[in-house]
Amino acid sequence: MKQKYIPLPGYREYFTLIILCAEFVLFALLSNKFLTEQNVTQIIQNASEIAIISIGMTIVIILGGIDISVGSVLGVCAIVAARLSAMGVNPILVVVLTICSGIVAGAANGLLVSLLKVPELIATLATMNFWRAIIFLMLGGSWLTGFPTVFNNIASGITFSIPNILFFILILYFVFWFVLTYRPFGRHLYAIGTNMEAARLNGIKVKKMKFASYMLLGALVGLSAIFYIDRMGTVEMTIGSDLAMQCIAAVVIGGTSITGGRGSVVGTLAGVLFVAVMSNGIVLLGVPSLLDHAIVGSLIIISIIIDVLLRKRIKKRRVETKTRLTIS
Amino acid sequence: MKTIWAIADKRGFMLTLLLIITIAIMSFLNQDFLSIDNLVGITQFGAVLSLLAIGQSLVILSGRGAIDLSVGAMLSLSGVFLGVLFQAGMNIWVASLLAILFGGLLGLINGVLVNFCHIHSLIATLGTQYLFSSIALYLTSGTPVSGFPSSFGVIGQGMIIGIPIQVVLVAVPVYIIMWFMVYRTRAGREIYLLGTNDIAAKFSGIQVNKIRTLIFTLSGLLSGIGAVVTCSWLMTARADAGTGMEMESITVAVLGGIIVSGGKGHLGSVMLSVLIVTVLNSGLQIANIDSVWELAILGILLILAIVFNNILVTKKIAYGGNVTFKDKGE
Repeated sequence: MKQKYIPLPGYREYFTLIILCAEFVLFALLSNKFLTEQNVTQIIQNASEIAIISIGMTIVIILGGIDISVGSVLGVCAIVAARLSAMGVNPILVVVLTICSGIVAGAANGLLVSLLKVPELIATLATMNFWRAIIFLMLGGSWLTGFPTVFNNIASGITFSIPNILFFILILYFVFWFVLTYRPFGRHLYAIGTNMEAARLNGIKVKKMKFASYMLLGALVGLSAIFYIDRMGTVEMTIGSDLAMQCIAAVVIGGTSITGGRGSVVGTLAGVLFVAVMSNGIVLLGVPSLLDHAIVGSLIIISIIIDVLLRKRIKKRRVETKTRLTIS
Repeated sequence: MKTIWAIADKRGFMLTLLLIITIAIMSFLNQDFLSIDNLVGITQFGAVLSLLAIGQSLVILSGRGAIDLSVGAMLSLSGVFLGVLFQAGMNIWVASLLAILFGGLLGLINGVLVNFCHIHSLIATLGTQYLFSSIALYLTSGTPVSGFPSSFGVIGQGMIIGIPIQVVLVAVPVYIIMWFMVYRTRAGREIYLLGTNDIAAKFSGIQVNKIRTLIFTLSGLLSGIGAVVTCSWLMTARADAGTGMEMESITVAVLGGIIVSGGKGHLGSVMLSVLIVTVLNSGLQIANIDSVWELAILGILLILAIVFNNILVTKKIAYGGNVTFKDKGE
């Protein structure tokens, strides 16, 4: 009989959700400005780019790769979008072209990683610097500002006191949750991340999948670039310089294994909210903003240590049950 | 065709050739470039980079995909630590010594996180990179510490018979010590074995985690020395002194033939590639080309170097040549 496959969130997703709730309660108790409608809207809007890009980052990390060039690619895409909309191009065309430029940047990464076999980290480190140089060149030391927004008031608007962007993010997460759990594309991702050689021998096209997932990440970066310029209205030289770290932090805190093969977008969403709430909360508590990076950096390390400990414990328990079963 | 690859495989020879070509191009771009004074003077731009590159190379050599993304941040934080100690009224030389040790401590943190907490080195050092650079920024609150006594500037700015002191008394001695450690002692052999096959290393009684931790500590110590040199050179302790250094050190190590999966490559070639990158950078500066291009060129160089290494590795397998100690050693 064919059994239906129903994946449930694992212990790791529950764990992230619990610490997210704990964090929420903690900040709500410590600061009375935290749980206001304005502040919560602010948190969601500030997290929108990280939320969208983290989907792609989760996919790439499940494959066993990483991409630290997202910040620079976001910058390039934002400049493309801003320049195009300043030229008075049709908004839909702007969106298409921006996403295309994101895909091109992603394809460059994918090409380096899958065809030329450059290690993921080093390939994206190189492209990060390359695109950053391009940003410097295109901006020439000044800010880009005063361009018309692409979707005036659609992305940054609010319906029924819920920011529009939240609907969009939730739909995107639902689609990718469905793809990752029920579609062959998603199952192949996990297979490659768990054991690349076995996946290849089973007929999964590993190179093609890698290429595709980097392009997907590029497309999502292009998409979020449009939201970025709509929300900020300016493009500066240092755009997205700590985006990669925040995305990786969100994905890792959300329980995706950095060595690949395990993780889910549900966990990532919780991780994104965790990072977003944290960077909002510490500002409300009056922690110097210079320490912002330090906190996110140590959060990454702490969450991985917890992950390692939890996994060790579960493995031990499994071994114990197994031996008990064999003895009885 | 076979001979071309054979020449390319002699990394030192190939890099020397590349160095000569780079110098030729640079002197073509600018007439003043090709003078002994200038060429010797340029070496000072490479001294700090060479320290970091040696540390980075050792970390990569030790295998398991290890990498140290925090070298730049460790350099910044050790430098700021020096500045803070100096401001607190400590003797500058004692403060320098403590800053070097502090760098070692930071490296030790990385090593413990990677080897005893079993965090992938990429993520651990990415985390500590942000942690360290953020603490450095916090300690200085954005304004560089300055006002060091002029005698302190000797390390970074002084010259002995026209050669910068930071090269003669810091970079070269450190390289010689490291060379001796890696190629003339047991510990060095063990590093190469770790990179080639760490299970074999474990079964032959090498304390894998301990040695890996020591290598990360060494990388931190070298960053600490780099921090002292940088502080003395610029006469300020800046929180952004090491920004981008991790990228440069990885590029240099890979260009020097250190294979990213570990266990292969030679420190001497790494020093040659430090020279190449230094000549390239300062040549572009002298030729008045926008410094933005440095970043882009460095990125392209990094990718080309890796692709080239990959081709070499596959060619070698195609020839049926096996990996011998000669490839990794002298």
